[in-house]
Amino acid sequence: MTSIGTGYDLSVSTYSPDGRIFQVEYAQKAVDNSGTAIGLRVKDGVVLAVEKIKHSRLLVPESNRRIMTAAKHVGIVSAGWMSDTRHLVKRAREESRNYHDTYKRDVPAKILAERMGMYKQVYTLYSAVRPFGVGTIMASYDADGPQLYMVEPSGQYFGYHGCAAGKGKQVAKTEIEKLKLSEMTVREAIKEAARIIYSAHDETKDKLFELELSWVCEESGRKHQRVPKELIEEAIQYAERALDEDDDEMDDDEE
Amino acid sequence: MDFAQFQQAPVSVPTEHHSHGNRWDPYVDNGGTSLAIAGEDFVVVASDTRQSNGYSINSRYSPKAFELSNGSVLATTGYHADALKLVEHIEQRAQLYFHKHDRAMNVSAMAQMLSGILYSKRFFPYYVFPILSGLDAKGKGAVYTYDPVGNMERVNYQAYGSASALVQPFLDSQVGFKNQRNADPSRLLERPQAVKLAIDAFTGATERDIHTGDWLDLFIIDQDGIHQTKRELKHD
Amino acid sequence: MDAIKIQLPHTVQPRAENANDGAVSRTMQPIVTGTSVVAFKYKDGIMMAADTLASYGSLARFRSEKRLMAVGDNTLVGVSGDLSDFQYMQHVLEDLETRELCMDDDQTLGTKSVYKYISNIMYNRRTKVDPLWNSYVVAGLDHDEKFLGFVDLYGTRYQSPTIATGFGAHLAQPILRKRVEGREDEIEEEEALAILDDCMRVLFYRDARSFNKLRRAKVTAQGVEISEPYSLETNWDFAESIVGYGG
Repeated sequence: MTSIGTGYDLSVSTYSPDGRIFQVEYAQKAVDNSGTAIGLRVKDGVVLAVEKIKHSRLLVPESNRRIMTAAKHVGIVSAGWMSDTRHLVKRAREESRNYHDTYKRDVPAKILAERMGMYKQVYTLYSAVRPFGVGTIMASYDADGPQLYMVEPSGQYFGYHGCAAGKGKQVAKTEIEKLKLSEMTVREAIKEAARIIYSAHDETKDKLFELELSWVCEESGRKHQRVPKELIEEAIQYAERALDEDDDEMDDDEE
Repeated sequence: MDFAQFQQAPVSVPTEHHSHGNRWDPYVDNGGTSLAIAGEDFVVVASDTRQSNGYSINSRYSPKAFELSNGSVLATTGYHADALKLVEHIEQRAQLYFHKHDRAMNVSAMAQMLSGILYSKRFFPYYVFPILSGLDAKGKGAVYTYDPVGNMERVNYQAYGSASALVQPFLDSQVGFKNQRNADPSRLLERPQAVKLAIDAFTGATERDIHTGDWLDLFIIDQDGIHQTKRELKHD
Repeated sequence: MDAIKIQLPHTVQPRAENANDGAVSRTMQPIVTGTSVVAFKYKDGIMMAADTLASYGSLARFRSEKRLMAVGDNTLVGVSGDLSDFQYMQHVLEDLETRELCMDDDQTLGTKSVYKYISNIMYNRRTKVDPLWNSYVVAGLDHDEKFLGFVDLYGTRYQSPTIATGFGAHLAQPILRKRVEGREDEIEEEEALAILDDCMRVLFYRDARSFNKLRRAKVTAQGVEISEPYSLETNWDFAESIVGYGG
């Protein structure tokens, strides 16, 4: 970043000479420092997974949830500041409710993604505000089937087959690209999601973490909910086995 | 388009709403009777549990006397929805008082507060006739009665509600010893007599008042606390 | 000469200043209405029924309206009175469900909470002198405890083993008091259905705003079940013997 320190990074209301808004890019950095979050869209639903890094052993298991529900059919997982995330989820709930109040119909994913994008974008315009340090992954099952969107701090949003955000996003994306998502079921996707989160986890940097998994699919009645405990256990076993096998292979290679 | 022709709603009957001119009347009288009799170191409170609306009985067991968190009992009659809201209102203030003073309200403080609550709605009153009962600071039976806008008086006994015109004269005679030769009007009843009179008053009221009946909630408040019993009245 | 005034249903009419006395006046009447709801406790839970007619005054305007709804997993709500007000309430309750779901705290809406929620709305609206023109019957079952409650446009509420709204309070309630009261824990489903049908039949014979297409519903330990519309067997032979009345 050649322009660092040239004074163009103090406010979102000023472009740098080469057309960048540094504050927005720094917000993206905040996202990149977070525990990895991924979304997988498969043929019968969407799966969300996140590596919730725990800063203390004293935390109550399953507290401080990072996957939240915005509407019956919409789940959100974020990478970045949790305080910002909770504000955005509150906003998503208001948008969903507003849409339902007006049309008595579940908000379509692309409309919600657009509204969330618009909301974030406003925070890239004024010097008095700070962009949200959050990448928002939204899973939904609407009239057009399973949907997956990610909204960035800039307000840009895209629809995905699979997406990742946070510190392990490169590893995760490489792994996701190997999957045949459009032929997969959510039950398979849960396992892969767990495996990807486990493989993206960097034991040397963060010791403690908890895997959170949610789905919105045919099996859940097109409702967003936590994946049942037994399935999570199964997925974790699968992930750990896969990691062990990887390690073995590496050992073999060395020999 | 003239909607006036639908004024009489198909789902309603004449007894369901009474209108004053054009304005919808936001009050209903749910009938029923309540009374309280103070003794030297106790109070007897009684309310029937019938809730009615015109000639219809809504419920045979819909209590209108309530035990409050400070150990007193509020017996009501009038508009039941307002009575329930009034109890919530009092309890909210009583909790506030409790946390501020680290001590439950005594009955005289609550009595004064209730007067204030009622008067604060002077121009849109709670249509409730409350009787607040408990033991005062000296341990004596205390009964406070109110009109719906907060006029308050401490008395030895009181009857309110749809059968008050039957019960109050009875109490005047048997509890207050009014206009009787060689009787002391300030004499307080002993506990067994007070309970007996309360029950008899309701047996009589149930016989003649169609809005009173079904069950009787009976409370005796003394040093040990509140003793509540439920007795049967005629279910007709 | 007064200008012709168009009166809108009270739910959409703005508050208007009365030219004569400066007082605020509003039209207060139900427009499209549903008639009685009948409900009672029986051995396995609570039974409820309502017909599918939405009347516009004396006109049988809409003939397949649903006046029974489930809220959460084990609460059943029946309504009579203004149906636009009911649709508003439906909206509010669906919203309540969504907010509860978003809490994600492993808790669900209980029947008593739903009942108190509706009661608060009804009482608050009456206190604004802008009531929702309905009677609600709320039924549910949590942890073996049967619940059956009523609340109307005055915010008046009560619980009872038998409840009937509107004309049902006059025509069905006496039948229910006779056949159900004191036997709430004994009545088997079969008998409950018979009682329900008898009540609805009497209402169909005598309530001119009723309809012989109805739904029944029950709440049991298995949750809420609302039936498809059905009709009752009726017998109008007695009509032959009625003479007079200008016929």
